[in-house]
Amino acid sequence: MKDTPLSNCERDFLLKAIQEKKRLDGRQTYDYRKIKITFGTDYGSCFVDLGKTRVMGQVSCELVAPKENRPNEGIMFFNIELSPMASPAFEQGRQSELSVKLNRQLERCLRNSKCIDTESLCVVSGEKVWKIRVDVHLLNHDGNLMDAASIAAISALCHFRRPDVSIQGDEVTVYSQEERDPIPLSIYHMPISVSFSFFQQGTYLLVDPCEREERVMDGLLMIAMNKHREICSIQSSGGIMLLKDQVMRCSKIASVKVSEITELIGKALENDKKARKAGGRCGFAESIPLERITALKMDETPMEMMDVTERANDIVQKAEVPPQMVQSPVVPVPGVGQVGQGLQNTWGLEEEEDEEEEDENEGSDNSAEEQEGRVSPMEEEKYEKEERDGGDVVEISDSEEEEVVILHPEKPDKAPKNTESSLHQKASNKKRQ
Amino acid sequence: MAAGFKTAEPLEYHRSFLKENCRPDGRELSEFRTTTLNIGSISTADGSALVKLGNTTVICGIKAELANPPVEGPGKGYIVPNVDLPPLCSSRFRPGPPGEQAQAASQFIADVIESSEVIQTEDLCIERGKLCWVLYCDLMCLDYDGNLLDACIVALLAALKNTQLPDVTISTETSAPEVNLEKRRGLHIHKHPVATSFCIFDDSVLIVDPTAEEESLATAQLAVVTDEEGRLCSLHKPGGTSLSGEKLQECISRATVRQREIQKLINKVLHSVKTDQ
Amino acid sequence: MAVMEARCSSSVMLREFACEQNFLSQPDGSASFVHGDTSVYAGVYGPAEVKVSKEIYDRATLEVLIQPKVGLPGVRERSQEQCVRETCEASLLLSLHPRSSLTLILQVLHDDGSLLSCLLNAACMSLMDAGLPMSCLFCGVTCAIDADGQIITDPTAAQEKESRALMTFAIDSKKHNVLMTSTKGSFSVNELQQCIAVSQKASEKLFQFYRDSVRRRYSKTL
Repeated sequence: MKDTPLSNCERDFLLKAIQEKKRLDGRQTYDYRKIKITFGTDYGSCFVDLGKTRVMGQVSCELVAPKENRPNEGIMFFNIELSPMASPAFEQGRQSELSVKLNRQLERCLRNSKCIDTESLCVVSGEKVWKIRVDVHLLNHDGNLMDAASIAAISALCHFRRPDVSIQGDEVTVYSQEERDPIPLSIYHMPISVSFSFFQQGTYLLVDPCEREERVMDGLLMIAMNKHREICSIQSSGGIMLLKDQVMRCSKIASVKVSEITELIGKALENDKKARKAGGRCGFAESIPLERITALKMDETPMEMMDVTERANDIVQKAEVPPQMVQSPVVPVPGVGQVGQGLQNTWGLEEEEDEEEEDENEGSDNSAEEQEGRVSPMEEEKYEKEERDGGDVVEISDSEEEEVVILHPEKPDKAPKNTESSLHQKASNKKRQ
Repeated sequence: MAAGFKTAEPLEYHRSFLKENCRPDGRELSEFRTTTLNIGSISTADGSALVKLGNTTVICGIKAELANPPVEGPGKGYIVPNVDLPPLCSSRFRPGPPGEQAQAASQFIADVIESSEVIQTEDLCIERGKLCWVLYCDLMCLDYDGNLLDACIVALLAALKNTQLPDVTISTETSAPEVNLEKRRGLHIHKHPVATSFCIFDDSVLIVDPTAEEESLATAQLAVVTDEEGRLCSLHKPGGTSLSGEKLQECISRATVRQREIQKLINKVLHSVKTDQ
Repeated sequence: MAVMEARCSSSVMLREFACEQNFLSQPDGSASFVHGDTSVYAGVYGPAEVKVSKEIYDRATLEVLIQPKVGLPGVRERSQEQCVRETCEASLLLSLHPRSSLTLILQVLHDDGSLLSCLLNAACMSLMDAGLPMSCLFCGVTCAIDADGQIITDPTAAQEKESRALMTFAIDSKKHNVLMTSTKGSFSVNELQQCIAVSQKASEKLFQFYRDSVRRRYSKTL
């Protein structure tokens, strides 16, 4: 489905508002929208709301063989899925420019920053390591997908627990969640991406652009940073020139935002841990805001099942009893059988008979000796010819064979090449001689 | 005249027949097309069968390979069915990766194998945790004229009954498997599931064994799979017009008759091959 | 094989279920549906412009996409898509929007049993939210028959694993007939008919829930 384009007057209005330091949703220039982090029932499942932008991070793991050049390191795999649910412009199963850009940035932010100890993911060096797969599903697109995705990915990684394993000789045993407590990943630091959008060739700057603002912006700067104020990745796109102190100012803003967000993630993880410990219900079902008019919940409901059995019996008994006798199939030749009321298919009778003859041969193919006896018309012709030749001059029959195979005909003017039809022709040539 | 009517108003054309309780090809509403079965059609496969249901033709070849058992079930083997709908069988299919219908059919066949327990995957294990058989069941449609699922299940069942696996022993010295091709044995077939497909016309008329044209005009399709004990292995109705429990019961009754018919057919054909040798 | 014939215990339960509509800003209609811990998001776009290759001259083209929680959609998702699509096609009045496209995207958030019925319910709620014309509503109910022959409605993932047969039905709201069935495992005719009857009963609860949530949505007071 196609995206709806932004109208000119809307564009002018937005730009004018930005010039007047005003934003559509009433935020200040450096404000983030409200961030909400919730965790799912499983370990490693996390939802992030950034204003109306909503993404889901899901971490999973499996045992695989490691890469050859890194035999004792686990494998990290990241995938941002641009589901068409998030925006009509996203198409299923196609690698768009945006998806490449987002995936690349997430990899740089989380893999290349070495924030996760991949060596601890090794089970048997060179043979078995954990592959950690991070899927980020975009559910609703209202701008700043990258920041939301990076928060979701790192929170999900922090929340994730992998199953415990033990090694005895060659045997690797994976324990289920009930048998042994699963183990969290060891995470050194938490890089978080912060996006800045620039307008009018870098004159105006906004933090956390919404979808409308992203459409009218000239350039985007993404800085991934951890709370120790270490920059993990920095990327500028859109082809704008930025001054040195503009970048410095952005990195300062980013450091403030990152420490705020890190604190928020920490709190969310803490809350979830408490809820799990208390044994209370946690997970997605609890996060539906029931105070909203659009939401409704129904508690566990018992059902009256008084007449179900009677009803079922009724239907079964009322139904016509199928006849016990069925017609007998016809077996015209061994290996072939037919059933049906004399209706012929349109393949035609003559062909049918031919086919059955062939089938007869094929049906008995299981015995190896009979394989020999099976001749196709072409081969038959050949045998016939050889027989005839053999009757006249015994020695020549061998050289005849050779003649055909190695393409050295005695009489090049007459003898044709060794195509299948050539045998027919040759046979007739012989006759003439 | 009739040809023009058929092209211009295909639905009306079919309705005029259904009103008289018959179908354009002369069948009654609950009548199957002629089913032709040939067993052992492919000599290079471990088991094979060719089925014709009217014009619909499906060939099934079974190839057995040795593999490591799955981690989650060390005492089991695998059965991997795959349905191929090449452009050869109908102009509606394009070359390239399998389309939705082929994928849905493969999934359906896999579900039927699992639900009916036609073969217990434990039977395919040679040595626990070390070696097992993988049965690749390739179903190829050669001519598509509707009712693919029924033809596929008959072809699969007949081919499985025809399959002869070579004897495998694990040598004690090298612990490598040794395959004895001379000594072969058949598979143990526990159940005989047979599918019966139906189409619903105009939200009310139920017809059995639809042709490709009837399928495209119908408002709903369903397939009932039953085994010899009269138990249902699958009742697959992907959507379309709703049916009451009573109507479903009618379908099931028809399906049990069909099951007996096909089981008899397969057994008789297999018997004819055996006595021949 | 001695299989105990299934019977219906007096206490058949549906897990708690909840739904939220219209919570995503981008799609034309959206809904999240929760059965116990199983949760699904659904979003609908359309009627909108259709690709020429997919255009149908007398009705709208409906596309259903199911996104699994981990990885990319596979053969299992394809067959679920087929079930949901054909069920929706049967209840939507597609001929009112010829040469246009409808896209329904379903995102699995958590699978704790009865996933297909949850997908169906989320689909129906999102179609309602999008305001698309429908001839009837539909709902999904999953029944499992456990090893003792007890019928369980709305099973959890653990119960599904233990069960010897699993059936999912889509029931329409007009006559409570069966729109879709998808089954696993083998079962007798009588068991099937019992499960259908149970599902029809359960569907009444679900339709009542649909009605309540719509009433709440268009009411003036909470």
